[in-house]
Amino acid sequence: MNDLFIELRHITKRFPGVVANDGVDLAVRTGEIHAIVGENGAGKSTLMRILYGLYQPDQGDIAVKGQTAVIDSPRRALELGIGMVHQHFMLIPVFTVAENVILGSEPASGLGRLRMREARQRVADLCRQYGFILDPGAEVGALSVGEQQRVEIIKVLYRGAELLILDEPTAVLVPQEVEELFHNLRRLKEQGKTIIFISHKLDEVLAISDQVTVLRHGRVVGTVPAARTTKAQLAEMMVGRPVLLELEHPSVTPGQVRLEARRLRVPGGGKRLAVREVSLAVRAGEVYGVAGVEGNGQTELVEALVGLRPIAGGQLLVDGRDVTHATARAIRLLGVAHIPEDRHRRGIALPMAVWENLILGHHTRDEFTHGALLDRPGIQGFVRRRVGDYDIRVADTDAPVLALSGGNQQKVVVAREFSFNPQVLVAAQPTRGLDIGATEFVMRQLLAARSSGMAVLLISANLEEVLSLSDRIAVMYGGEMVAEFARAEATPAELGLYMTGTKRKDEARAG
Amino acid sequence: MKGRLLLLQVATPALAIVFGMLIASVMILAIGRNPIDVYAVMVRFSLTRTDSLFSILFKTTPLIFAGLAVAMSFRASLFNIGVEGQYYIGAFCAALVGFSLRGLPAVVHLPLALLAAAGGGMVWALVPIALKLRRGAHEVITTIMMNYIASALLLYLINDVFRDPTQIGTPRVRTPVVAPAARVPSMGPLLAPLGLHGSDVEKLNLLLPLGVTIAVVLAYFLSRTRFGYEVRAVASNPLAAEAAGIPNARVQFGMFMLSAGIAGLVGLNDILGFFGYLDIDFPKGLGFLGISVALLAKNNPLGVIPAALLFGFLDRGAAGVQFFARVPKEIIVILQAIIILAIVVAYELLTRYVRTQRKREAELVVTATPVAEGTGS
Ligand SMILES: Nc1ncnc2c1ncn2[C@@H]1O[C@H](COP(=O)(O)OP(=O)(O)OP(=O)(O)O)[C@@H](O)[C@H]1O
Ligand SMILES: [Mg+2]
Repeated sequence: MNDLFIELRHITKRFPGVVANDGVDLAVRTGEIHAIVGENGAGKSTLMRILYGLYQPDQGDIAVKGQTAVIDSPRRALELGIGMVHQHFMLIPVFTVAENVILGSEPASGLGRLRMREARQRVADLCRQYGFILDPGAEVGALSVGEQQRVEIIKVLYRGAELLILDEPTAVLVPQEVEELFHNLRRLKEQGKTIIFISHKLDEVLAISDQVTVLRHGRVVGTVPAARTTKAQLAEMMVGRPVLLELEHPSVTPGQVRLEARRLRVPGGGKRLAVREVSLAVRAGEVYGVAGVEGNGQTELVEALVGLRPIAGGQLLVDGRDVTHATARAIRLLGVAHIPEDRHRRGIALPMAVWENLILGHHTRDEFTHGALLDRPGIQGFVRRRVGDYDIRVADTDAPVLALSGGNQQKVVVAREFSFNPQVLVAAQPTRGLDIGATEFVMRQLLAARSSGMAVLLISANLEEVLSLSDRIAVMYGGEMVAEFARAEATPAELGLYMTGTKRKDEARAG
Repeated sequence: MKGRLLLLQVATPALAIVFGMLIASVMILAIGRNPIDVYAVMVRFSLTRTDSLFSILFKTTPLIFAGLAVAMSFRASLFNIGVEGQYYIGAFCAALVGFSLRGLPAVVHLPLALLAAAGGGMVWALVPIALKLRRGAHEVITTIMMNYIASALLLYLINDVFRDPTQIGTPRVRTPVVAPAARVPSMGPLLAPLGLHGSDVEKLNLLLPLGVTIAVVLAYFLSRTRFGYEVRAVASNPLAAEAAGIPNARVQFGMFMLSAGIAGLVGLNDILGFFGYLDIDFPKGLGFLGISVALLAKNNPLGVIPAALLFGFLDRGAAGVQFFARVPKEIIVILQAIIILAIVVAYELLTRYVRTQRKREAELVVTATPVAEGTGS
């Protein structure tokens, strides 16, 4: 009796200049949750894409349930019971949950008429079976990120997947949503499904998985049972040296106010206000954290602060100057840098070269131009330094940035925005997708910049990150700042109450 | 292995053409002719006679401008389908400047006429681009509408307002003749010392080298300048470009104006280079051919030159086939379309193949050398 669902034998995959997977052996047992961890660029996503038929291995073979299989397309993978939950959701916002789920394999009558009622019923059954809280008739555009992810999972289950691949599913979730996801995953496991789970958050890995495989530079370092390992051990296996998981937070006396919003009102989609009367002031030498569940107006607030969204009311000041109606360029020129929450949307241009992405927004600087021409040698020097400092794993900076692993793409954005000593940094989810080493590095950079007088507005769904970096912490809920805490006063439990709207500012004042 | 691939890459356009001809052969066979004979006539007629060669170059000239105009808009994710109308207006403006001003020296008059043409094209493009950037109206629709207006307006202007009074009473509907100072000099005198003579040689004018020069300048401009970089950013991710402080609308406006300005020059090869007046039957449809040229050139300014040459060749070859192989004109038009279509498809397939092969080779190189672990650390 063979209880292995998947066996990868000696998988090797090369890209120009890199060996992404180097003789990888991996065995995943039926009914287990198997985590894969490793540094940015270690080859995790590549391995998963091979398993899902998106890439072909150069060497090695794959056995599914003991039978050697050639997986040359996602269609074939699904036939074999292998499904992948996409990290970048591929959903149609104006369709309902049920319509999205059945898209591509619609149940139809003999005459080709869509059997919508049957579809809705099947989706509802799936939700019930696995304990997913989801309304099949709801429009997907109105769902939260966590709910959209559930739709993606149902989609894969609907197509008959026995093995689910989740590549960094928690990167876009807030803690409560992670809990919900884990609840769903455990339920799936109980029902005999097999799950491969990728994450950079080792706490999550230890909480959810049975086995953990560590990859480093495309090779397997080892597989250990989750119950018999620790965060520190995993981190050391990943990086090859012990990793300090502690961060110092030296006290800095804040200076003058650098970034100030006064009763800011910002429209969302349509006429609805996404940000209602938000006031905040960030001083030089201070990290001001904004915690909150995604979709409570943070996106709109950030876009308004950096000039990417019109402001409907209130005032925005940078260094005391009114920039309420200034352009993004004007605000940038005042020394405001911006790490956007979604790198693929606002952060990078995927088809452009790594070097081109590294100078985006700085490309008009004297050191990069010769009159109207770009100064390639000057740029090359800068690019080489940034790639070195931020350990961006790339074989050739002329390659398009889409050839980089997710975390390395994020490093490109972070490295760029930290360049040329910005006075103010608006950072939304700055460490999203980064491995522990890179996360620690970026956090250190942030604190170093704070010590030298930068004003940082940190928007993050990651409470741990907000708590360890911020001097003051505000909670955003329903487009408003519902609470503000000094660093010493804030606790995760208390923040959580405000983030979910259980408690409000007025009550806090009263109490 | 490597050499073979390089060869394939160089030969890609040629292979694509052969493929196109094979497909078209089916068509020729269907009308009961021998494809080999037809192609032989085509090649012999267009490539072995001096007059044919120069005729091809003459036909290529406006196609270079048209291809460049379309390519520039595509580069900025805009679809300027209005090159057609823009060159009508440009041609008219050039003719107007040409025949209404007298006594200017050529060094003033000709540049003035060229500027008028480019300016006319740009003015004609203002409405569509303003509607696009301010109101979001799709430029494909608006430029097509502007084409209709341009076409009707031109007929009116030539027929009713600026018709050459000396021609009234004749069947010739055209503007007065432009001043000699506004005409584009022929390349005939330059070529005569090389022993090249004849009316087709004389037809060739300085717009050909001008078009080639513009193509080279544009290639440099797009790849090396700050503005070219911004164009790439806006085209590949407008949201990220905006976040980086690049004014998307201004970049798109600039590229659309560049496109329309070049479009304004498309008609001059015939108007200022050959006829010397704007006839109601002046050559039309060049703007639409420009779309095919740009597609074949993959919006690369340098690629526009060979792509335009190919179209010039097909056009001349078609004339020969019609005359000497007695194939009906309609069939020739269909043949041209099939060849172009097949070339575009084959070209795409071959480039894809070469690309994947290249990647494989790069991977092999990596295996041979032990630089396995990425860079950085
Ligand atoms: N399409 C591609 N073309 C070229 N190189 C690629 C491509 N995809 C991945 N790579 C390279 O392969 C290596 C492994 O990338 P992969 O995306 O598998 O990493 P990862 O472990 O998922 O990292 P992360 O944690 O950052 O997501 C990287 O060096 C990356 O640059
Ligand atoms: Mg990845």
